[in-house]
Amino acid sequence: MIRRGGIGLLVAFLVLVAVGAFSDPLGLPSFYLILLGSICFWIAQATSWNILSGYSGYFSFGQAAYVGVGAYTTAVLSGRHGVNFFLTVPLAAVLCGLLALGVGAVAFRLGSLRGEIFALLTLAVPFILAAFARINQSIDGGQGTTVPVPEVPDAFGSLPELQYLLALLIAAIAVAAAYAIQHSRTGSALAAIRDAEDVAEVLGVATFRYKMLAMLISGVLGGVAGSVYALQIGFVTVESVFGLTIPLFVIVMGVLGGRTHWLGPVIGAVLIVTLQDRLSSYGLDAWNSIILGGVLALLVAVSPDGLYARLRARPLVSLGSLVVVGGGLAVLNVWGEFLDWLVVGMLVAALLAIVLGSRWATARLPLGRRARTTAEPVPAEPAIAEPAIADPEPAEAEAGTPGDEPGAVLVECRQVARYFGGVHALEDVTLDIRAGELVGLVGPNGSGKTTLINLLSGAFRPTRGVIRLDGQDITRMAPHKIAHVGMARTYQIPRPFDSMTVRDNVAMAIMFGREPLPLHRARPIAERHLATVALDHLADAHPADLNLHQRQLLEMARAIASSPKVLLLDEALAGLNPAEVDNAVRVVRRIHESGITIVIVEHLLRVLNQLATRLVVLDRGTCLADGEPQTVLNDPAVIRAYLGRQAHV
Amino acid sequence: MNVIQATLTGALIGGLYALMAAGLSVTWGVLRIINLAHFGLILIGAYLTFQVATSWHLDPVLTLVVTVPAMFVAGAAIQWLFDRLRLTEFNSLLVSFGLLIITIQVTSNIWSADFRRMSADVNPYATQSVALGRLVFPVTTLVAFGLAALVVLGAHLVLRRTFAGRAMRAIAQDRAVAGAFGVDHRRLSVLLGGVVGATAALAGMVFALSNALTPDTAYEWFGTVFAVVILGGIGEVVGTFAAGILVGVLSGVVSAVWSPAAAPFVLFSAIILALLLRPQGLFAAGGVR
Amino acid sequence: MRRRSLAVIGTALVLGAAAAGCGNGSGSGGDGDKPIVVGSTLSLTGAFAATGQIHKIAGQEFVDRLNANGGLLGRKVEWKVVDDQSDQAKVSQLYERLISQDKVDLILGPYATPNILSAMAVAQRHGYVMPQHSAVLAPQLTYDCQFPAWSIGPTPNSFIPNQLFDAVATLPSPPKKIAVLTSQSGSAAFVSDGFGDDKSGALSIAKERGLDVVADIHYPPTTTDWAPIAAQVRDADPDLIIDNGLGVDAANILQAMAQLNYKPKQMFGLFPAPGPLLALGDEAEGMLSVSMFEPNKPTLDKLGPEATAITADFTKRAEAAKLPYTVFETQAAASWNAWEILTDAVKNSGGTDQRKMCDTLHQKGADTTFSGHLTFDPKAHNFWPTTQSIKQIQNGDWVTVWPADRAAAKLEGPRP
Repeated sequence: MIRRGGIGLLVAFLVLVAVGAFSDPLGLPSFYLILLGSICFWIAQATSWNILSGYSGYFSFGQAAYVGVGAYTTAVLSGRHGVNFFLTVPLAAVLCGLLALGVGAVAFRLGSLRGEIFALLTLAVPFILAAFARINQSIDGGQGTTVPVPEVPDAFGSLPELQYLLALLIAAIAVAAAYAIQHSRTGSALAAIRDAEDVAEVLGVATFRYKMLAMLISGVLGGVAGSVYALQIGFVTVESVFGLTIPLFVIVMGVLGGRTHWLGPVIGAVLIVTLQDRLSSYGLDAWNSIILGGVLALLVAVSPDGLYARLRARPLVSLGSLVVVGGGLAVLNVWGEFLDWLVVGMLVAALLAIVLGSRWATARLPLGRRARTTAEPVPAEPAIAEPAIADPEPAEAEAGTPGDEPGAVLVECRQVARYFGGVHALEDVTLDIRAGELVGLVGPNGSGKTTLINLLSGAFRPTRGVIRLDGQDITRMAPHKIAHVGMARTYQIPRPFDSMTVRDNVAMAIMFGREPLPLHRARPIAERHLATVALDHLADAHPADLNLHQRQLLEMARAIASSPKVLLLDEALAGLNPAEVDNAVRVVRRIHESGITIVIVEHLLRVLNQLATRLVVLDRGTCLADGEPQTVLNDPAVIRAYLGRQAHV
Repeated sequence: MNVIQATLTGALIGGLYALMAAGLSVTWGVLRIINLAHFGLILIGAYLTFQVATSWHLDPVLTLVVTVPAMFVAGAAIQWLFDRLRLTEFNSLLVSFGLLIITIQVTSNIWSADFRRMSADVNPYATQSVALGRLVFPVTTLVAFGLAALVVLGAHLVLRRTFAGRAMRAIAQDRAVAGAFGVDHRRLSVLLGGVVGATAALAGMVFALSNALTPDTAYEWFGTVFAVVILGGIGEVVGTFAAGILVGVLSGVVSAVWSPAAAPFVLFSAIILALLLRPQGLFAAGGVR
Repeated sequence: MRRRSLAVIGTALVLGAAAAGCGNGSGSGGDGDKPIVVGSTLSLTGAFAATGQIHKIAGQEFVDRLNANGGLLGRKVEWKVVDDQSDQAKVSQLYERLISQDKVDLILGPYATPNILSAMAVAQRHGYVMPQHSAVLAPQLTYDCQFPAWSIGPTPNSFIPNQLFDAVATLPSPPKKIAVLTSQSGSAAFVSDGFGDDKSGALSIAKERGLDVVADIHYPPTTTDWAPIAAQVRDADPDLIIDNGLGVDAANILQAMAQLNYKPKQMFGLFPAPGPLLALGDEAEGMLSVSMFEPNKPTLDKLGPEATAITADFTKRAEAAKLPYTVFETQAAASWNAWEILTDAVKNSGGTDQRKMCDTLHQKGADTTFSGHLTFDPKAHNFWPTTQSIKQIQNGDWVTVWPADRAAAKLEGPRP
């Protein structure tokens, strides 16, 4: 599949190269080359932006930084210091790569930085660089720099051909990179970061590394494209490359086309550039921005996920209308020229796809994926009497013997404390959890249960104390490393990766587990885990189509898929009806029987009483009681602190 | 002496920055909309001030009688539109960017792209100032500062003391819960949009008092205004005011002691630092959020 | 899904290939009675739009008058002007389209130096003659068929400061202390700092002439807060402020100084927008700037009724287009020159063959209404002997005051 896609891209590239190389014999006016070159520049920039901002969800307003540094490197070195143009391009790539890493290291230092803060941080970078260039007039001599035309072998033909071929090459590299990333582990990791970053981290995704990788690739591509842009505009000033136009249009193209798919920015760039060209060609100068702004506002409003998603949902309608309208106009030949037909065709295709994909249209024609999966009857209580479906992962050998006999100590907490400012959420908790146990963690609200789970999974670091898992000190480890040691968790409010199918949600945990597997090998295993939680019939659905109970089961399937030694279940039964609770209890028990040690936070003591092998009671951040469920529940201190307030046992 | 004067005028000009940023900050914080069209409203406010003052020979400050209601309606209409479309935060950015470029083009079609400036006989404020020894307070910036202070104080009191204000803070925290307690989110946000539009009229008037207008000016505000919004803390009116003053003083002093070219360098580097040390905003303490 | 993406690409490619086939179908060039089409871009929106408008009105007026007088070589002239949105990257794309797609017969340059440089590359590639109105930095304009319509000679970076210093030296009390403010824009900074290896500019020339530079401030074109600059100038209290800036810089600085209760003794602005300074009223009285043409009565009387009619017509059109400043001055005159260079080339070469036009211009030069006969020397990049003057605001109007032979009034020194 991937190989075929790669070949397709290569063919497309070669055809476009041929268009450039044989533009003379084809009688192609050089304007087309320039226009195509301009489209290629925007494709490269929009794709560069999309690899970071679209894939990982971190919106950048700083694309001008890469364009500017790339263009300045080329202009200043070749224009003022006589360096060969082709040497300046890799240098621009290196400089922009370093810049990207620098910005990334600063921006992502905080672990999970809020999206809008990242956006504004990147907005500030081009301003700083522009000011830097203005302060140090020795960089460009204070007046901008003319970029000399590089000397090239005659084989490359005229300057427009060279510019076009260079721009095409870079656009092709950018699109190929975007394509490769989307179909690789990195793509899955970035998608998971976009959907739920800290979940991804806890699942074993090294989020920082992947974000930095996306930054780096985006920076290098943006810089190289900026370097060729310098050649296209011929004269580089601070204003022409560090302005706001480029970042704004790049965002417009990416979002308009669709930012979760590699083809999205390509569609956006082609549409915007050709539309602008046509508007100006018809002398609609006074209307140019009005129409463009209107199209942007309208398309985003009616199709917030971008055009690509709508076009893909109706490929035949889209392509058909493009060909019929564009071709029809061409055959009639009463109005306009090729570009007019193409633009009209594209606009009609986009509008049709949007109209057909709109809410009322899908309501009338329940044919789409969404309609099918929601229409499918969801069993209120799936038949899971027999737990024999699943063949659990290698976890069992390492985790010790399941059953009532506790094995070796698996989790050790030594005097663990966690303060939030003046609030002592957890105070000197010392706790051992042995292999094979199913520990119920109870306590009134605010007693520190969830804090303890967050400390164990690495989401927070303890203020002091030591935590060990299977003998390894995990106190200061990054969450994804803790996951690799063998810890998994679920969230009280399920947090699935919304853009992926249920199957891929689970496969993510396998792909980024201790023994990473590629997606196509992870999928069959994921299905077995789904069977364990009796969710296999919904493997193709998206999380949005699941009810709360099913989402919680999905959480569990995803957690066990990373083949953990210890599974932390944070209020996995909250908000379920009694029948669903019984079902969930059966699933938990089955997971336990497969050899995974479980810590479960739960309010329903009735459930814990029959499920847990041991109860730990927290109260105001300290360990109040610990032992056999029966013993603990009869402890007077526990009754006072906990049961006294929770009458509905 | 120079530094003191630069600090002073910088702080006063900060009033204008705050006036421009306050509306943006509140819609972002409360309604979760990054409304770039706000810059368009300020631009229209400025041009309306110019037009009304010039053709009716009205004192530019009195033009507020016309511009404030007009911009209130415009702001409310935009907010109504956003509500209907149910946009996410970033899509609101794109839709409002579309509206902004439409606004700029319309402005250009009506008033031409050439510089428009209220002539000295219409606008006596441009060159007036109040002197205190060698120190000078330009009147235009005093107006800016005063209006900004009024708006901030008013917004602060409304948000703290009135039902509508408390309801808005509730919306900012949790829209669904606020709805459950009978807060009509729709009507309130349209009202808020209108009020924000009215502040755009104030900012536009102040800008027109001391500047020549071209449609493209709207883009030049982006950097500084966003800097003020972020430094002040998104949704924090009082913080916005403080941040405006800080930004004004910082760029004024850097221009005076180093070079005007260095001002953006220092300013935006400071912003990055501030974001890293206090990502919630330098002055974020108990505002709307 | 991947197959669908490929299908999309495939279709696009097929259509692209079709483009190659269709592209050369249109625009077969026959002449006869068909109009001569002139193509150009102007910045009608974006950063340079304020001035772009003036060139549009002047150009339209020129074409209308030309057609009213029988057109060019008996053919009507049509002007296809498109908006480049002040975006350099668009300029080359648009000129490519005008030349290779729309197949216009003639081209004119756009407005603003970076845009002109971008357009020049395209014109050179296609061998088109390109008169251009506003790029004055001779060393950058290397194409031998570009013809400047505004000339400050081959070295404007030393010519402008020298002309200014010569002018003010004739005052009863010539300035001794000067302040130099410089916008860090490619279109202005060379007058202060020189260009490339030639470092002579206002700063170095002032020192050579023994003037005391009491303030040297460079500011970015994005400056919004002028008070710190004004305060520094006030404290330095120079006899003459030279603002090598653009647009409304000078007006903003004057206003900021007025707010500080400081009235500069004398101020010069390089390329200011003329209207906003006049709007400042009394504060701007005595302001100096460079000029190529001002429609002062003595000047118009010298040039004759034709010139008077042109300037009056321009004002009428500018008012109709709701421009704030409607006087036919430097920018409009540059535009007029560019059109006259173009039409003279066609008339004198007898057709629209670009090579012949270019050679004819080199040999015979061109006749212009406002700058007289122009001669073009390819060695000086076609920059003709300059007719640049200094103008001053006197009694609320711009008046040419230097050099004496072109002056409409006497240069005034600082008011007491």
